Amino acid sequence: MAMSGVEIFKLLPKTNCKKCGFPTCLAFAMKLAQRQADISACPDVSEAAKATLGEASAPPIRGIKLGLGDRAAKMGEENVMFRHEKKFVNPCVIALNVADTDDVAARAKNVASSEIDRVGQKLRVDAISIEFKSGDAAKYEAAVKAAAENAPESAVILNCSDATVVDAAVKAVAARKPMIYGVNDSNIDAMAAIAKAHGLILGLKADGIEAVMALVAKAKAAGVEDLVLDPCAKNAREIIEMNTQIRRSALKKGEKSLGYPVLSNCVREDSMVEANIAAVAVAKYASIVLVSAVERWKNLALFTLRQNIYTDPQVPMQVPQKVYKIGEPSAEAPLMITTNFSLTYFIVAGEVENSKVPSRLAVMDCEGLSVLTAWAAGKFTANKIAQFVTEWEEFKEVANKELIIPGQVAILSGALEDKLPGWKITVGPREANGLPVFLKSRAA
Amino acid sequence: MAYTIPVENLSGKVQEMTLGTAGRTVAVGGGTTLPFHTFEGVKSNRPVIAIEIQDVPPADWPDEVRAQYDAVSGDTVTWAKYCQDTLKADAIALRLTGTHPDRENRSVEDAVATIKSVLDAIEVPLIILGSNHVEKDSKVLVAAAEAASGRNCVIGKAQEANYKTIVAAALAHNHKLIAMSELDINLAKQLNILITQMGFDAARILTDPMCSALGYGLEYTYSVMERIRLAALAQNDATMQPPIIGDVGMYVWKIKEVTAAEADVPAWGALAERGVAWESVTATALSIAGANMLIMRHPKAVDAVRKTLDELC
Amino acid sequence: MIIIGEKLSVIAKRVRLAMEARDKGPIQEIAERQFREGAAIIDANIGPAEDGGEDLMQWMVTTIQEKVHAPVCLDTTNVSALEAGLKVHNNQWGKALLNSTSNDPERFPVLELAAKYNCDVIGLTVGKGGLPADAEERAGIAAEIMARAMEYGVPLENIYLDPLVLQIATTQDQAVKVIETIRMFQDLNDPPMKTVVGLSNISNGCPKALRPILNKYYFLMLAEAGLTAAIADAAEMAEAMHEKALIAEVMAGKTLDDPKKMAEIVKTVDVIMNKTLYAHSYLEM
Repeated sequence: MAMSGVEIFKLLPKTNCKKCGFPTCLAFAMKLAQRQADISACPDVSEAAKATLGEASAPPIRGIKLGLGDRAAKMGEENVMFRHEKKFVNPCVIALNVADTDDVAARAKNVASSEIDRVGQKLRVDAISIEFKSGDAAKYEAAVKAAAENAPESAVILNCSDATVVDAAVKAVAARKPMIYGVNDSNIDAMAAIAKAHGLILGLKADGIEAVMALVAKAKAAGVEDLVLDPCAKNAREIIEMNTQIRRSALKKGEKSLGYPVLSNCVREDSMVEANIAAVAVAKYASIVLVSAVERWKNLALFTLRQNIYTDPQVPMQVPQKVYKIGEPSAEAPLMITTNFSLTYFIVAGEVENSKVPSRLAVMDCEGLSVLTAWAAGKFTANKIAQFVTEWEEFKEVANKELIIPGQVAILSGALEDKLPGWKITVGPREANGLPVFLKSRAA
Repeated sequence: MAYTIPVENLSGKVQEMTLGTAGRTVAVGGGTTLPFHTFEGVKSNRPVIAIEIQDVPPADWPDEVRAQYDAVSGDTVTWAKYCQDTLKADAIALRLTGTHPDRENRSVEDAVATIKSVLDAIEVPLIILGSNHVEKDSKVLVAAAEAASGRNCVIGKAQEANYKTIVAAALAHNHKLIAMSELDINLAKQLNILITQMGFDAARILTDPMCSALGYGLEYTYSVMERIRLAALAQNDATMQPPIIGDVGMYVWKIKEVTAAEADVPAWGALAERGVAWESVTATALSIAGANMLIMRHPKAVDAVRKTLDELC
Repeated sequence: MIIIGEKLSVIAKRVRLAMEARDKGPIQEIAERQFREGAAIIDANIGPAEDGGEDLMQWMVTTIQEKVHAPVCLDTTNVSALEAGLKVHNNQWGKALLNSTSNDPERFPVLELAAKYNCDVIGLTVGKGGLPADAEERAGIAAEIMARAMEYGVPLENIYLDPLVLQIATTQDQAVKVIETIRMFQDLNDPPMKTVVGLSNISNGCPKALRPILNKYYFLMLAEAGLTAAIADAAEMAEAMHEKALIAEVMAGKTLDDPKKMAEIVKTVDVIMNKTLYAHSYLEM
């Protein structure tokens, strides 16, 4: 069971030696409790304490890395059922599944060039899965090589349930640490041996959760700990139901044999439907989402959804600092200012849109705080606003030197007039829903 | 190794309501579980997709979706019939965009005439939406409720600023009502309380926690919907048990991902599929968060969501 | 329980006008009233006070202490205004309290002041960007603040850890987590760490009639958890102490003679414990 920071602290040497990289044993204990540090960082802890802590600090869902280096995708280590409770930790991997009978090189190139930049994050299809369909071991090996060569930075998944074929193909790409997917009751011993020999992840595939648990027991008995589970959901409802049950069992019932990342196969004929089924898997706990096509439009939609679902609910979402144009504002159009808390921005921008008065909305970086909180925290003050207005290029194109500030910080108007010579400061409504009337009455 | 399904016995339920009249009714909501959890209780009715039409041609819709209706959208009745007969809509959502003072500023009488002619032409249930102008809506929707009397429609949206007149009208003419708040579960609850305090039955409310598009705050809508469902089921909170509605199309079909040409942003891929995917992924995400009814625009997105719901239900 | 009287805040219009005009009358009247009502420390919240904060804080401290024989809680994000206030603070009735340091590097210099002037300091357990999700995260930040305090030479008994009370109307789940945090903070040291909350924020954004009800019962629940101090409305807290027995009876499962009071307590405790969803009209349901 998980231990509290204070309980962990009692087991530490209490020397505050800083060798772990934290200033005190207490601070280190708190990080251990939040699973943001590893007990091995403490050189002086007793073996007995280490054993106790190792057990306690093991996450309920095992953390596993797929792929290598900077591009490795961490999976697992989730703590909650719902994203509003606490951040979902490790965004799922989107993997393209290609048959060895397909033009593997061309499809692998799609994976390699899938990167899109969205709100400052570089997002991509993280893995390529090569499915054994040809029945020809040599063809499979060639396909795996082609995939690895043409998607040189992607994680590789060997989607094959024939251990002999895997054994032959794995050698070519062993250095890439491929995951073996397709492990079932009849091949598990041979697959486990391959995985052990090369230090690979096993993707266990069985019909239903109970059967998956039985495979987990066998894999662990064979000495393989890095496992990914596929209970073979037959449809989107089963994806939700099975993935929910697995996570619930691991988190709420302490079921160790289900404490592993899950793979959901979302491959469908119709690519638009496949996007939706993949969306279900992204939202509902899959760590690997397998698709059969990675068109750019689909990637953009799925990456965006993944970003949305894995956003930290405690960190207010922020919009970039800039002067946003709403409608087609002339140089004389009204200019308002607010903070960069995204909800504040969405609601203010929405009300300005409702007013149909073309306007400019200046959004200032206040670390995602809302207007009044940002003011109280000293982030949305007269000095800082004045500095922003003076230094930010986009204000130069504004002919009408009038700045409308939120009614909640009316208190700033005097100081702002002093600090922004030549500007008129106008106090706007206290709440965003007062904006349409406010803007229209000015325009009239 | 014995596996015990980790069932959570939740004490609450989702209200079930029936829309429309005679043979063409549709059931919304119901059930006792989180969305699509058939292993632990009674599931809700399949989410209902209402296709959106307007009282004026959709000049403000982006090309990708506007063009789908070019042949029919010149006349609201033709458009409604097309959605019912050709697109096989479960329900039709008529948005009275043209009544907005900054648009055509159509009169209350004109709106009433449109509603009556649409109702005469269709059998499927009708959702009547205002133009999101607080003052005008309270006049238009009151007249709309009267014009649609006896047809068991949905009237919306009642918001904190104008709910009283709209609730009274829905009450007098026996309609269902959309109660909308802005991405705040506590205000959603408060509005439902205020509405029921007027004598309006909670079983006739649809909660609209405000929609947002994929990439534009979807996670807020998603989490508010999940929390509403949890309050309804785990806390058995009667004020949070009305079905949830997601007004998807309106929020999707205005952002740059559904309008930017591939030539301008090659990394985003084909615009035609991108727009459809944006609406359909948004709708899919919200239906697994708890939406019982979706208002959508693009026929291909409707089709993809239907196929997804075939798997989910 | 130490009550830190919250009323001298720049957010209140009357106080702001008095600050601007340097009009001692209202400031002293409010300070004296709070002292009579049981406040042991008087909070002087001058806001970010970018311009002339030093002069304003000195004026506030001397104005308050001219009439009220109690320490002042110096409340501003302006560090040099804090130092200016410390220079004129009369320690005869107790140490000044600085509000506040935190895990945001911008707030580290406050610890320097606390060391230099050997005064008390509030350690707000928030970092830069993002709010702590639960008690464990807050305790983690507390441990970092404590470690830094030791580095700067601030004795741990001079620190009041503040878990940051959030509005129940928008972040209801945090109310009970803050209660849990108060218990956890005490375990971080022996003797237990002192704790403080900015209490009234719990009911910020709630209808006026609801505010004292939420403030009072939340205060009593935090007190039960071992809270050391609260920045609060002293009159409300005095009233709360009178109702302490009532809430204890309700919690013990007894029925009160006054059904209205009974419902008020049960419903409010349920909302604070996150068992029913908050809405402005929750008492009417």
